[in-house]
Amino acid sequence: MPEKKSKMLKATQGLKNAMGRHYLAIEQAYRDGKPTAWATSGCPVELLYAMDVQPMLPENSATISAAQKYSQKFIELAEEEGFSYDMCSYFKTNLGAVMEDVDVYKGGIRKPTFMLSSDVICDTHSHWFQVQAERFGGVPHYIIDVPHVVSNTSKRQLDYFKKYVQEQMWELLDFIETHTGNKIDMEKAREVAANSYELSEVWRDIYELRKNIPSPISTKDTFGGLFPLFTMPGLRSPINLYKRMYREAKTRVDAGQGALENEEFRLMFEGIPFWYQLKYFAMLERFNAIIVYEPYTFAFSKFFSNPFEEFSKERLLKDPIECMSALMLSFWYIFDLETRIKWFKETVKDWKIDGVILHNNVSCRPNTTTFYDLKRRLGEEADIPCLIIDSDQNDPRKFNEVQVTNQIESFIEILRKSKRG
Amino acid sequence: MVKIAYFDADVVSPEEIFMAAGFTPFRLLGNPAIEHDKVNEHVPPTHCVWAKNILEQAIRGLNPEIKGVVTSHGCDCTNREFDIWVESVEIDFLFYLNVPLKRDKIALNFFLNDLKELVYQIEDRFKIKIQPEKIKEAIKLNNQIRKLLKEISEYRTKMILKGSEFHELVKLSQTNDKKKVLDILKKKLMELKNKTRFTEKKMKRILLTGSIIDDTEFLIFLEDKGFQVVADDLCIGSRYFWNTIEEDKDPIVAIAEYHLSKPLYSTKMPSYDRFEFLKFLAEKYEVDGIMNIAMKFCEPMLYDHPYMNKKFKELKIPYIFIEMSYNREQYKQLSTRFEAFAEMI
Repeated sequence: MPEKKSKMLKATQGLKNAMGRHYLAIEQAYRDGKPTAWATSGCPVELLYAMDVQPMLPENSATISAAQKYSQKFIELAEEEGFSYDMCSYFKTNLGAVMEDVDVYKGGIRKPTFMLSSDVICDTHSHWFQVQAERFGGVPHYIIDVPHVVSNTSKRQLDYFKKYVQEQMWELLDFIETHTGNKIDMEKAREVAANSYELSEVWRDIYELRKNIPSPISTKDTFGGLFPLFTMPGLRSPINLYKRMYREAKTRVDAGQGALENEEFRLMFEGIPFWYQLKYFAMLERFNAIIVYEPYTFAFSKFFSNPFEEFSKERLLKDPIECMSALMLSFWYIFDLETRIKWFKETVKDWKIDGVILHNNVSCRPNTTTFYDLKRRLGEEADIPCLIIDSDQNDPRKFNEVQVTNQIESFIEILRKSKRG
Repeated sequence: MVKIAYFDADVVSPEEIFMAAGFTPFRLLGNPAIEHDKVNEHVPPTHCVWAKNILEQAIRGLNPEIKGVVTSHGCDCTNREFDIWVESVEIDFLFYLNVPLKRDKIALNFFLNDLKELVYQIEDRFKIKIQPEKIKEAIKLNNQIRKLLKEISEYRTKMILKGSEFHELVKLSQTNDKKKVLDILKKKLMELKNKTRFTEKKMKRILLTGSIIDDTEFLIFLEDKGFQVVADDLCIGSRYFWNTIEEDKDPIVAIAEYHLSKPLYSTKMPSYDRFEFLKFLAEKYEVDGIMNIAMKFCEPMLYDHPYMNKKFKELKIPYIFIEMSYNREQYKQLSTRFEAFAEMI
């Protein structure tokens, strides 16, 4: 079968520059003696920008290690330190990269002024930073404890959950002031929040364009494209990048062009991709299949992916702390099972998806725990074919290419038959 | 006897609230002898084997005396599996208790709210009223049990009570009517006061820590290898009885404060603080070595192990870390490692 190539947006090429500016800003912060912080995904990075603290996201650095084919080496170094084969590969990559003191282009990351983690996605995040804070000789570490929303959580519970997070958020501001001397400036906080909202909004609009048949963009634009949302929410520069991506995608839509020449199968991919083998996703294109939605990359568009509340710009500007607290309670990536099923069904319908691939990522148990029930319920209630593939986000040793390829080939056959009716 | 069961990867379930509601608290225990036929249809293979074992039993059907199950915040696996319980387990009442990750005043206030919510939901579901006086009575009764267990535990260190027998007593305390438990423990204490050492041979004095260890056969296995568990910081162990609950204040507040001040577990932060209690136990009971047993895929333990290893090395206390599957065949397979450790110490 001939290789096919989906077309990446020209604008996405600007991603490299945008991320380059992020890393330059980090270096500049160190030169200027400005405070820096590590943060885990799910944390309100906007508050760091609002308090003039330069954020660094070790998960982002870990993906760089993987993309540059260094993650396995770093993971094995961490394992030599006594950390198990079964633990999160982002954590181990980060540990190995710090041990080796490699530069940012290999996934290196400097010692920060303080660390900020949360258990909104996983308890692992807090353990990870505890390990690193201690190994650095004692870096201050603030944890935002976010209550778990489960399938039978009531509205009443959500109210006091939110209050709990909000109280911690105020405490966090004091913590930051104590360790940096920087005070919160609410005007700046509003400005940063407004930028973050706009960034989310454009990302949402890009996703809306993916509803079109053929889809104007593929994962070549979104897997990497999500990083500004993750690392720079609150800055202006990524907004301009996303707007360029949007305009170019819209031009394709208007011209009836898709990212893939002969789009036949529209897929959804749930989970973190295997960063060390991103090219593998192009393999789907041989079957005229394209991924048109990833809950993981859309999750970071947090103002538009909340199942419990509406988040208007007005509400955000009125009280950014209240909004940021409420937003922390949920994340598309780790929704409770009932919410997940509802959102999957709606997404499949709206984005006209033929099949779903669920990545049983052994490094991320919170995301994968309910996959089997998710698959079964989607099949029973909405007749949506699902495929579960087993692998890992950052550890190439856990990726069995032959097995995954065989599974995908069979899955495409199922979709083909299903389409023929 | 009607029961409320708790699925707890720690030991933070408010038994006194269940008792005040007229239920016997019942800790769900694993059964390493069963196959995971049902649960494998729900949970991927790379998830905590102990948690899967409990869920397997629940899907097959819990004892009809169990009218509800409360799951407490544990690790990432147990937390997320709650939704599968809701989906797959036939039970009238299921509550997820968000025991906070931290232990400060903000966390305490939140925990109070969640405990009150639990009270509200039990009252609503079972059409009963939980009286504060009843909770206070339960606290007093459980405090007596805790004190007795603490006193009895000292007989482990004197080599009068085997570690495995004590483990059975703690399990019994977590799964039976508390008045009956009180009688049993009182009798046991009397009996122990008149007993002599069970062995004259030199057994290695061990501090046992790690994931949930609910299979007493494992402790018997250790005894066969020449180890006596003289102390532990386990959930089915010291962490269940080390502290008592204050009896003269608002009972819900007292319960919340109790759970957020007892010796810390790896599922809570900062989990490295656990080391201080382990160090205290190791020194108080003059142990020959420390065993840290992690169930396969038990991430909190896996994160803490290298730090514990480093700290015990600094103290020059022999330390062994074992990752173990939840089945008895594993014990035999690990024999050599335990024997080597025995020789080392």
